[in-house]
Amino acid sequence: MRLNDLLCVSVRQVVRHRRRYLGVVLAIALGVAGFITVVTMSREVKKNFNEDLDLIGGVTVIRVYFDNTRSYRPQWFRDQTLEALTDLEGVKELSLAAVKGGQTNYHGERHIFMAMAVDEAFWQVRSFWAQRGRLFGPGEVFERQRVCVLGAELARKVFGTQDVVGRSLEINQEQYRVSGILGGVTDSGMANSVFLPLTTAQDRLPGQVLTDRLYLRCLTWDDVAQVAAAIPKVIGSHQSPEELHVEVSWEGLKRVKQLAWWIESLIYLAISATFILGGVGIWNVMMAAVTSRTREIGLKKAMGAEDKDILAQFLSEALCLSGAATLLGAGLGRIMMEIMGIMIGSRPPENLFFLGLVLAFVFAVVLGVGAGLYPSLRASRMEVVSAIRYE
Amino acid sequence: MNNLVTSAEGNGALIRVTNLCKTYDNGSGLVHVLRNINLKVYPGEIVAVMGPSGSGKSTLLFILGIFLHPTRGSYFLGGENVLTLDRTGQAEFRRRRVGFVFQTCDLLENSTVYENLEFPLIYAGMDRKERPARIAAALEKVDLGHRMHYSSNRLSGGERQRVAVARALVNQPQVILADEPTGQLDRSHGHLILTHFGEIVRDGKTSVVVVTHDPEMAARCTRVCSLQDGILSEQ
Repeated sequence: MRLNDLLCVSVRQVVRHRRRYLGVVLAIALGVAGFITVVTMSREVKKNFNEDLDLIGGVTVIRVYFDNTRSYRPQWFRDQTLEALTDLEGVKELSLAAVKGGQTNYHGERHIFMAMAVDEAFWQVRSFWAQRGRLFGPGEVFERQRVCVLGAELARKVFGTQDVVGRSLEINQEQYRVSGILGGVTDSGMANSVFLPLTTAQDRLPGQVLTDRLYLRCLTWDDVAQVAAAIPKVIGSHQSPEELHVEVSWEGLKRVKQLAWWIESLIYLAISATFILGGVGIWNVMMAAVTSRTREIGLKKAMGAEDKDILAQFLSEALCLSGAATLLGAGLGRIMMEIMGIMIGSRPPENLFFLGLVLAFVFAVVLGVGAGLYPSLRASRMEVVSAIRYE
Repeated sequence: MNNLVTSAEGNGALIRVTNLCKTYDNGSGLVHVLRNINLKVYPGEIVAVMGPSGSGKSTLLFILGIFLHPTRGSYFLGGENVLTLDRTGQAEFRRRRVGFVFQTCDLLENSTVYENLEFPLIYAGMDRKERPARIAAALEKVDLGHRMHYSSNRLSGGERQRVAVARALVNQPQVILADEPTGQLDRSHGHLILTHFGEIVRDGKTSVVVVTHDPEMAARCTRVCSLQDGILSEQ
């Protein structure tokens, strides 16, 4: 039997018996759609998931600092070091900061706090947002404005309320305008701190304001270990790494990875279950087809079909089924991919979709052959007379 | 018992069956369906096999189509011992040398008349472009050219039988084995089928073996054999 005849006959059979095959095709199509979506969107979702989880634990943020209290020669991050760190693979963004002690007198009451001098990227890197008002941006940093952002706890302690946006706060005898209250998941240290533009702090705070701490956000949690290991080498190649400390929330990272592993496993489990169900469905449908088409098999053998012709026909029908399901699944997967892309606001590379498509087709072939083989073999081995006389 | 049915002496027989026996074990004992059948069918002959129900007519026809194997005996077609063929050889034999019309006039369901006739040609490896003409010609011979693209499910019993005959003819086989080919046909269409069988064998290369209950049809055949209790005899 020629290949084009085989395909033509098989497609015709599948189309004519479409009602019988519909459930199986839909099951496999959903599996394929899920598979393509996972393959294409997993990195994007993971990236998004990373950001969401960072709100809880900040596990992709690496804190790097020089412990100048233990060093005779104070160190700070040089421009070329920052450039090299920015170019490091797996680094999404970084923020430079410095810490000084600060104090204020408000209605005769003295409050001591930590004044953090930060650049405009700090909020994004640490996933902070404004609970009230706004966080200062590039404009205020560039113009060295006297603005500040207060930790929520400190605002309550100093002013007795958090409704302080626009009010003045004296810090080390200089007046600053409160632009906002820090929101996001903050520890008690952050909640009791004042945040100033780095440039303003360097101009106005007493003594040297050394940019001796750095926050790096990695692209995904898989990049954290690799980036953390590379940081000392990169810094060492541009400046002295004396008293350099690299801090990673290893415990948090482990837990987040575990959580993600479970979620990913569940997704793959669901997809595998769909594929298995699809496979069992094909098996069942083909077995039923072999039984209900026993006379047809006998007739075809009487017309001169060889065992291999019957085997090829039933196998090719199983492949057509899984192929059709894959095509449908690919379409559904594309739609799901587009919808998820819009929802999470990013688009995966097109070649990932094609990779998913190729893998899905490979699965379809394996599924079609695997599930269709036994029924096809059974059909091909039937004896003509018993098949023709089958009731 | 040894019964020999031939129309003439000589070795030019297309079908030569010798001492053919078929026995079944039905659980309570052996059933002898065919006993020492000897049959020679020559090119150009239409041989009718008559007999009561259960006499073994269909079994004989199935053995001639090598759908069944005899318990004993030999069967040569065109000088070739076809009982020694392996499964591939048997398929090749059915494809090229035999056309079979079943008693139940089985057609492929959910297929058109064209598709029913196309399958033998597909298995024979005929080029796709050559098939329509061959199918049309076969259908014309049974007066069904106008039904070529009808679904087989929509045909009447008589039409189905004629399509089954056309399907047996479409590969232009050496031997046509027909099990009650006119059983469901009216007189005129039965006559048409027989006339066509006559035309086919006229070339002197083809033979037809017909199982029938119809004495009128048997009367128009070259020879009539009777099968009773597994024993074949010429009338």
